[in-house]
Amino acid sequence: MPTELSNPKLQLAFALVLGAVGAFLLLPKPKARSIAAGTFLLVAALAVLGVFVTESFGRPIGELVPDILFWLFSTGAVGFGALLVTQRNPARGAIAFAFVILSSCGLFLLLAAPFLMAATIIIYAGAIIVTFLFVLMLSNVKGPSNENDRSREPLLGSLAGFAFIGLILFALLQAKPVVASTDESAEVEFALPASLLTKEDRVALREVRADLDAALATDDVKLVSEKAKSAHDKLAETIGGDGVTGQRKTVLERLRPLIGDPKKPSTHDPRLLAFTQQTLQLQKTNDDVEEKYLMASPGKADKASLQKLRDVVTVYSGNGQLPARNVGNIGLLLYSEHLLAVEMAGTLLLVATIGAVAIAGRKKGDKS
Amino acid sequence: MISLNHFLVVGAVLFGLGLVGFLTRRNLITLFLCAELMLQGVVLNFLAFGRMHGSLNGQVFGLFIITVAACEAGLGLALFLMLYRRGRSLDSGIWQTLREQGVPSAVDSEPLPIVVAEVHPVLTVAGRKPGVGTPAEGASRV
Repeated sequence: MPTELSNPKLQLAFALVLGAVGAFLLLPKPKARSIAAGTFLLVAALAVLGVFVTESFGRPIGELVPDILFWLFSTGAVGFGALLVTQRNPARGAIAFAFVILSSCGLFLLLAAPFLMAATIIIYAGAIIVTFLFVLMLSNVKGPSNENDRSREPLLGSLAGFAFIGLILFALLQAKPVVASTDESAEVEFALPASLLTKEDRVALREVRADLDAALATDDVKLVSEKAKSAHDKLAETIGGDGVTGQRKTVLERLRPLIGDPKKPSTHDPRLLAFTQQTLQLQKTNDDVEEKYLMASPGKADKASLQKLRDVVTVYSGNGQLPARNVGNIGLLLYSEHLLAVEMAGTLLLVATIGAVAIAGRKKGDKS
Repeated sequence: MISLNHFLVVGAVLFGLGLVGFLTRRNLITLFLCAELMLQGVVLNFLAFGRMHGSLNGQVFGLFIITVAACEAGLGLALFLMLYRRGRSLDSGIWQTLREQGVPSAVDSEPLPIVVAEVHPVLTVAGRKPGVGTPAEGASRV
């Protein structure tokens, strides 16, 4: 019996069924709406989901404060979200939405995004106030009404939504490392921040990236060639040219206790697969550079392959921790790499403003 | 240890709840709030992946999502205003006249419960009814 209960798939299915039935009972409808039973089922579903998450994705150990804050904010976001969905009164729904926003802003802060937290609070405070205004202006119904006391296909709707949640959570469960271990390295692949590569790997990759940046920044053909060659050699050394050498060997050594037999590494281990895949992609892009750039005559060298290698290296090296200068770095990124997107977002806002004025700004006598 | 998966779970659950609300609820304003709930789940995913890769691009993407959400809010509320002017109701069900040809209409079969409005106490009439034909008297009192 205990083994059955600790099966994560069963826990997930149980949570989803409880949640779907609870949401069905709680959704507003003229008959068969049971607030007490629905609330009880939804709370039970949340509890089972919590057990599922701790059992499958790691229980809180170590840092106490972030763990408590995470559970507090995530429970708040999900609970008030459920309240918003099942609430009859749209004004109360708006209040519940305000609490969802506050809770998810707490989660943003845990994810090292203070600027986005502040922006979200400011923007959604305005949005919620405007929603209130609309509720006061338009929803002046007394007593039960069609829009507040009926739902469209509550059973099918809640089944569809919870089946969707189940699909995503099942996919997450499948993507999780198979080897269950009490060792901390069992969770290493999905740690925040990611640490699949060793620290030395990251340092080496960042040096490669610095070389590539220098090569991309200059027009001096000789200097470009020199820097590209240096980057190419460093990368080749890092990922190991033939067989298992260099830093790659170190990573393999670290992964070995998890893989099992060192002579026959299991190809099904997702960490090994991911690592091999990363190495292969780095290798491929590096070979590409060699073929297109270093082998070609310096005069005809195109920088596209260098740029591509730089992008791949950036993805895999990462910056480790996010920089503490959040606002400044976001601004830098916005106006350097995402300038076109900024312009398009501005245009979109302008068009939306014009559209909103055109749609809503009719004169009173104009009935057409 | 809080891993990437924890945040992905929260994002997925927020998105799913928003989906349930968007599919079932009939009040246009609640529909709007449920769509925003789904967007919150998506932003959470982007931030979690950004944190995992140690890259600020996830946060930049979150910023753009908020921009699009603001556009959606403006246009959506303007549309609600126009729909309300035409239909005098926030019920999305009255717009099923726009459905495809051949699709049967959804009929609300169950009657709504009848709630007797509360009767508030009324003060009894007291005092003297103010005079109608003597403005001079009233003016002199001021």
